Amino acid sequence: MKIQEIERVIFEKFPGAPLVRDETGKMGALWSVVVPVSGIRDVAKTFETADFFLETVTALDFQDTLELVYHFNCYEPKSRVVVRMLCGHDQVAPSICDIFRGAGWLEREIHDFFGIRFSGNPDMRPLLLPEDADYHPLRKDFGKVSAYRKREEIYG
Amino acid sequence: MGELYTTPPESEKIYTLNLGPQHPSTHGVLRILLDLDGEYIVKADPVIGYGHRGHEKMGENRLYKQFLPNTSRMDYLSGLLFNHGFVLAVEKLVGIEVPERSKYIRVIASELNRISSHLLWFGTYLLDLGGFTPFLYAFDDREQILDILDSVTGSRLTYSYCRFGGVSRDIDANFIDMTRAFLKRMDARWADYDNLVSENIIFINRTRDVGIIDRELARQYAVTGPNLRACGVAFDVRRIEPYEVYDRFDFEVPTGSRGDALDRYYVRFKEMQQSCRIIEQALDHLPGGPFLAEKVPQKITPPKGEVYLAFESARGLAAYYLVSDGSPSPYRCHIRVPSFGNLNALIDVLPETLVADAISILGSIDVVIPEIDR
Amino acid sequence: MAKKVREQGEPIIQFALLDDIMNLARGNSLWPMTFGLACCAIEMMAAGASRFDLDRFGSGVFRPSPRQSDVMIVAGTISRKMIPVIQMLWDQMPNPKWCIAMGNCAISGGPFEYEDQYAIVPGAHLVVPVDVVIPGCPPRPEALIQGLLALEDKITRGEDRNLLRRFKRAGGQAK
Repeated sequence: MKIQEIERVIFEKFPGAPLVRDETGKMGALWSVVVPVSGIRDVAKTFETADFFLETVTALDFQDTLELVYHFNCYEPKSRVVVRMLCGHDQVAPSICDIFRGAGWLEREIHDFFGIRFSGNPDMRPLLLPEDADYHPLRKDFGKVSAYRKREEIYG
Repeated sequence: MGELYTTPPESEKIYTLNLGPQHPSTHGVLRILLDLDGEYIVKADPVIGYGHRGHEKMGENRLYKQFLPNTSRMDYLSGLLFNHGFVLAVEKLVGIEVPERSKYIRVIASELNRISSHLLWFGTYLLDLGGFTPFLYAFDDREQILDILDSVTGSRLTYSYCRFGGVSRDIDANFIDMTRAFLKRMDARWADYDNLVSENIIFINRTRDVGIIDRELARQYAVTGPNLRACGVAFDVRRIEPYEVYDRFDFEVPTGSRGDALDRYYVRFKEMQQSCRIIEQALDHLPGGPFLAEKVPQKITPPKGEVYLAFESARGLAAYYLVSDGSPSPYRCHIRVPSFGNLNALIDVLPETLVADAISILGSIDVVIPEIDR
Repeated sequence: MAKKVREQGEPIIQFALLDDIMNLARGNSLWPMTFGLACCAIEMMAAGASRFDLDRFGSGVFRPSPRQSDVMIVAGTISRKMIPVIQMLWDQMPNPKWCIAMGNCAISGGPFEYEDQYAIVPGAHLVVPVDVVIPGCPPRPEALIQGLLALEDKITRGEDRNLLRRFKRAGGQAK
């Protein structure tokens, strides 16, 4: 089956990657794996050749790190998987917009809201904020914030 | 000597036109910068953000209950569907059991909302193409649905009907009678719409082979919903990952074959008929019992963790991604909206089409811009 | 004989009957500009559609171009990115022009206004001069009709000077 093929490929490329299976059904996916920042392009290429699509990309702001969360899905039942990437507040993440063309706008939106820079995306103009905006609203040091936590407080 | 007056120099060949934020056919405030060569589009660059209201930041500053009004205002045409999805996501995160009756009520209300959204799309799409009469017919039918939903939710457009654990108010015999009368009325209406629009030669010429989105393009841009189903992929979240009680109903997922605007029209048309089927089955099997779960706390404090819940909105696959840190407000509230990918695909669909076809394509993919801008 | 105080902006020479007729004509044929920004736009469309028919009040023709319209109905939330667009459109409208703020978002920011809201402008009155406000989220189409009739009252300067007063209206009277 397609999804087991992908699991095998990911374990080959990233042997020690922490993979969490979804027991309670809350994650909405089969499993979630944390890959290093440099490995996201290989993972994206694997998904692209396996006929998957990039459902959404989002980011989470923690005190110690920023986390990028990619949700991949395909047109068959029970095939959603989550790929996570931890990158520091000043790190540059590689862009996957040449592998999945829809990632261009998603990365622009994340740059708008979180300030994460993506290398390799030719068009990094603001998407949702005004053109001259220099603030990043969804960061936890902007505006009214109810909590600013470390990653292990939520994910253990 | 004659060429001096008839052939423009290369530097003047491309003309940039601003299909501005205020335009009768952009559905919401969308701006597309078109590079034109004569009447043909060379490059299309959508500029969005004119409706950005900061829903995701508001989600982090609100209690879960206080975010309910926001959910309806993102995609205001499928307000109940987004409301339903949010309530399902929080119930999944906390682990609240929902009584059977309220599941059926939520499905009936959601499908009514889906029909009203498609009817509005139908009316405005034909208005964009130049026909005023279908707009009036569609809005008349839509007003019937709004009457039904108004009687039980209290609102015509932006509903906050679903609550964590059920719905806020039970439906009564009046609601059921009005819904059945509506279904009976629509049975006769489909033939009217067919006669008025589907066989109209001008409509067919303006939509056949216009704006073809094929499977590969749809996959690259994560196009979902009727736009994807028109390419032949039967991907409907109600079938693929059934939520609520959708697995108990017998309905088809209509697909097209060519992926042009005419196929998208037919897919939405048939979807309305399938939604009527679902409502009829739900009304026939409506169980009794309570409509709201007991002992649901007023201030919901979910356990730490995350939830990702996908549902089928009128425009495609929508999803809520909530991350909870154990406090009464979410730590992160991200909403995946279907119109994001649908509009993104236009960057590759619009080049080498005429400007008039661009209006037709923009109408046929059914985007709601405040949903993209969140 | 008491001297009538002239209000600021009123012309020196006034033709009472002609003025009344002109105001009546303007008030009964207000051509709105399609300026729907968000959810209230749908209720504006529903007001122009079959059940609530704005055309019987003379306002059925929604003009897309600001140069051909009388009244700008700001329906929806104004975001920061939209401010220069609204100002440009308002400047492009020829006089006499009016503005209706429809919906809570156009009046005061609506449900989106909170302490540190960065994205919206809390009210259309901060950008353009507003004549009539219509509260609601979204206001029903009947409320939009009441607002247009209130604008008509404001233009014709009250019921007494409205020569073709068809019926006694409750609410929305401006003197």
